[in-house]
Amino acid sequence: MRNLVYIKGTKQGLVLQLDDQCSYTDLLTELQAKVSDPALDGSAEVQIHLGNRYCTEAQTKEVIAITQSNSHLRVSSVRSDVITVEESNRRIMERQSETYVGIVRSGQVVKAEGDLVVVGDVNPNAKVVAGGNIYVLGRLKGMAHAGANGNREAVIAASWLEATHLKIDDALETMTDELTVLSEQPEMECAYLHTNGHIIIDRLQELRFIRPQISTFKGGS
Amino acid sequence: MGEAIVITSGKGGVGKTTTTANLGTALALQGKKVCLIDTDIGLRNLDVILGLENRIIYDLVDVLDGRCKVHQALVKDKRFDDMLYLLPAAQTTDKNAINPEQMKELVTKLKEDYDFVIIDCPAGIEQGYKNAVAGADKAIVVTTPEISAVRDADRIIGLLELEENIEPPKLIINRIRQHLMKAGEALDVNEITTHLSIDLLGIVADDETVISSSNRGEPVVMDPNNRAAMGYRNIARRILGESVPLMTMDQKSGGVFSKIKAIFSK
Repeated sequence: MRNLVYIKGTKQGLVLQLDDQCSYTDLLTELQAKVSDPALDGSAEVQIHLGNRYCTEAQTKEVIAITQSNSHLRVSSVRSDVITVEESNRRIMERQSETYVGIVRSGQVVKAEGDLVVVGDVNPNAKVVAGGNIYVLGRLKGMAHAGANGNREAVIAASWLEATHLKIDDALETMTDELTVLSEQPEMECAYLHTNGHIIIDRLQELRFIRPQISTFKGGS
Repeated sequence: MGEAIVITSGKGGVGKTTTTANLGTALALQGKKVCLIDTDIGLRNLDVILGLENRIIYDLVDVLDGRCKVHQALVKDKRFDDMLYLLPAAQTTDKNAINPEQMKELVTKLKEDYDFVIIDCPAGIEQGYKNAVAGADKAIVVTTPEISAVRDADRIIGLLELEENIEPPKLIINRIRQHLMKAGEALDVNEITTHLSIDLLGIVADDETVISSSNRGEPVVMDPNNRAAMGYRNIARRILGESVPLMTMDQKSGGVFSKIKAIFSK
């Protein structure tokens, strides 16, 4: 009989390579047998590789539970080479950048699944919402909500940042004391979510150090 | 075929009705045939400012409901021989008594007989606004140098830009008080136009005689020496395609007006 579960030792710990062709129940039986092997007696971090098998969230949990039924093993990650079409589309949308040219006026809402580029001003009482980052080539004077689908790494950058409300994921910053905001230099700024859960405003020049992953270009000669 | 211009602002009390009355009068004085339509049903004022209140027999709702012919409801302003007419709003019903399709049909019909159909829009962005903009080809947004008025103007401009049949709106900044603007206590003309990013059609100074002449039922534009009247006359000339340079308020007080005064005092 084919071996459905390979155990490999790597520098990062154990890797459980699960067969992706057999039936799911067979796999679980085999996995149960493998992890209960008394030879596995040292505690170890385990990575599970599912190969080309798609597991629902419940199934993934089941696999983790069985692996961890051996008290020495702790699952650090589960990797699969397949995702659903839905998930794939969502990821594409999130990577996409949409552009709005014009002024977003009071009462108007502009929404994007991924990044949003506004070429024009965002006036007071107008709202821009994006799943990714928001870039405003103009004055951002209204409300901006970046990372609306839970992306806490999202940033808001503007040529002129004097928004009344900034929101990243679910963290909201109101800038009601307009005078203090205005008196500081609002030109070329960006806002990001600090690890302490508060929105920080910094110079736009700092963005490449704060969120290096935003830049998709390498080098620069 | 004339053109229909809607005068709107979002916020109330910035001078839509006064602007409608004065622009209409100024255009009539320039020899154009003008029809003013008051769409503020239930809170009509345009007739009072023009001093035509006592001559109303039928109104807008009567026309749209077919109780009378259009020409029966039009009130002629006898001061401007046959050039200025008013279609008054109804006072005894509300804005839901008419709908945008009816307005569009009416305005199209009126455009055949008049050079300008000027529509006075009620405050707000609900039914009354929708009725008023339905038949318009152009829009003028009136604002004052107050943040609240500018915010509402921004909202209205956003809505007007969605209307496919209306050209990009133009801006009038009304009730400018130069001493406040100079002191930096009111928004200045530049700030407002940059914020709203639409073409500026003209500016009108704040003048007490606007109130007193409205109370007498005589649009202020009839007084050629008045500085607010000057603003309205310039706007009317720009609507007619003339290029009239925008006077700064400073020049208005120190330069041109003192010159005009000097001429009249000789």
